[in-house]
Amino acid sequence: MATQKQVKTGSDQSSDLEQRVQKLRELYADASEIGKTALENVIRALKSGAPAKEPVARIESAGRIGRRQGKVSELTVIVPLAPGGAKRLRGFLEALHGSIGNELVDMVGTVHDMRFVFLDNDTKLLFCTAYDGDWDAYIEDFATKIPDILDLQFGDTEGWPGVRSPRVKDHIASHQITADFWYVANPNLTVVETRRLERIGNAMEEFLDKIS
Amino acid sequence: MSFEVQRGEEQRHSPAVDLHDIQATVLRYRPEPYFGTHLFLHINNAHGGREFLRRLAPHISSASDWWNAEDPWIAVAISYPGLVALGVPEDSLQSFPEAFRVGMAARAEKLCDYGANDPKNWDRPFGSGQIHIQVSIISDTVEKWRLTMEMARQQYQGFSSVTVLLIQNFGAQPGSLNSLGYKDSIGQPAIEGSGVDPLPGQGQPIKAGEFILGYPGESGVPLAMPQPDVLGRNSTYVGLRKYQSRVGAFNRFLQANGQTDQERELLAAKLVGRWRSGAPLTLAPAEDDVPLGGDPQRNNDFTYAGDPQGIRAPLGCHMRRMNPRDTKMPVLTDVNIHRIIRRSTTYGAPYDRSAMSEHDDEVERGIYFLFISAKAMNTLEFLQQEWINDGNFMNLGNERDPIVGLQDEGAPFTIPKEPVRHRIHGIETFNVLRGGEYLFMPSLSALNWLAGLNGDALES
Repeated sequence: MATQKQVKTGSDQSSDLEQRVQKLRELYADASEIGKTALENVIRALKSGAPAKEPVARIESAGRIGRRQGKVSELTVIVPLAPGGAKRLRGFLEALHGSIGNELVDMVGTVHDMRFVFLDNDTKLLFCTAYDGDWDAYIEDFATKIPDILDLQFGDTEGWPGVRSPRVKDHIASHQITADFWYVANPNLTVVETRRLERIGNAMEEFLDKIS
Repeated sequence: MSFEVQRGEEQRHSPAVDLHDIQATVLRYRPEPYFGTHLFLHINNAHGGREFLRRLAPHISSASDWWNAEDPWIAVAISYPGLVALGVPEDSLQSFPEAFRVGMAARAEKLCDYGANDPKNWDRPFGSGQIHIQVSIISDTVEKWRLTMEMARQQYQGFSSVTVLLIQNFGAQPGSLNSLGYKDSIGQPAIEGSGVDPLPGQGQPIKAGEFILGYPGESGVPLAMPQPDVLGRNSTYVGLRKYQSRVGAFNRFLQANGQTDQERELLAAKLVGRWRSGAPLTLAPAEDDVPLGGDPQRNNDFTYAGDPQGIRAPLGCHMRRMNPRDTKMPVLTDVNIHRIIRRSTTYGAPYDRSAMSEHDDEVERGIYFLFISAKAMNTLEFLQQEWINDGNFMNLGNERDPIVGLQDEGAPFTIPKEPVRHRIHGIETFNVLRGGEYLFMPSLSALNWLAGLNGDALES
């Protein structure tokens, strides 16, 4: 994707900073003393620091919903569970990931991480993942290649239409919450690229070992 | 142990496709040689637009006997603004997918159409919302083309309700080669229930619902269809992309990276995965094999099982990107759900091997690339994002498709070799996008419904 960089002059940056500081002070006017003191310390550090660098990757949308940084996107879903759903899902995840689950996710090749958290006495599921690319690029591929795994992972969530349903994308989007803030250490590295670099790094070390 | 659904595991029922109701062009391969015209029309009022469709409808060929390409045929497709202009009821309009309703130009960001490919650089009338109807005439001889074109002309000439925006002739190329000098349109997907055995190498037929609305797709479920049923069933979508071929840039690239004619031709083959004759590198790795290239029984009859690293056909070549077949990919992908039916039509000056200048880049020649899919909008966005303007799925980092990718400055192209790969830097955009439209290709019943022939009164 083309990244259009806006070059800012030094004076633009300092007036930007002043505005942000002003806004922060207003927000923290009602905060605790600890908060106010901490804020003033941070403001002092901000002002004495080097001018902010241009962000490496443009923060953009993951497509339909969610945030994206460079090549990595985030997805957060909170969805009510059917009665007994948490118990079944816990059991399924334990059985799956105790055996071949990680290999299965490895094979997907676009998932950086994935977590299932049960909330409010097992009545709700929090599902979070960081993945490569656009929101709906590979959902159909999952639906034809590993439909049963997805139907077991999400079949106990309320209203799950089945991964093969034409409505599945709307369903996921309706429970998805876009993060307000999200940090990615390596926004330009996909899962595939990270693995490739790991292999190259190992080969390079082996090569150096041999010639040294 | 595998949790993947393997093809062939489930019973593959073959619901016969209603060939008599589907437009011929959905299934009928472009002949060689070929001669034809694309007409782009604007409807001035709903009543007149429907009258035009009524006149045209009897001349639109069905896919019955689609395997006979000796008959010339006429195809018709309608844009979203066209459906609005015809007075299609609001609830029906709203049943079309959003990407179709807003049009290809409005989806530029999702399609990676920026920079040189940005819709603001497109040729008029593309992307302006003016195009309502596309009529295509395709034939295997000049005489039949002229007669068929005349028949089409009679339906709109002197008819004030329809304005002709653009008449684009195509085909008539020496050796039927495309604008970069290759034989093209080899290796179409085989479609289940279409009544013909697949050609060798086409692979197991793909579910009809991937290409025609109203049938189960690869997931076993039919896609959402525009309503009412008579409008959706047996209809499909067409994506049109008009490319200008930068023949000078292409030749300069070959010149800069090949010392001899032989080296340059091998490089040209590495970009596509096929020699100019159509012979695939997988079967003819060292030199062109013209009889192989011209033989439909043999020119697509291969897998990549013997070439996992792309030593013959590079992992990033155009052919392998657009249909990875059995390539082991690092990203879980179902290659059967991203296929399209291609009806590529070359226009303008023939490919010129000696064209080297920047002026040659702008000589009018290129491809009106038409592709057909029941989910054309989704598929194009996937292809543009994942398979054309990225290399992640083939372990190639940011590398892009060498033929239709939009190249950033200094972009690489990787040619796998033993012991180490060869990487060329500075590949340019060889085909620049100059127009694009999404169109709905109605079944013959849907066409009659749109024309008001079956008695349903549309809003006027």
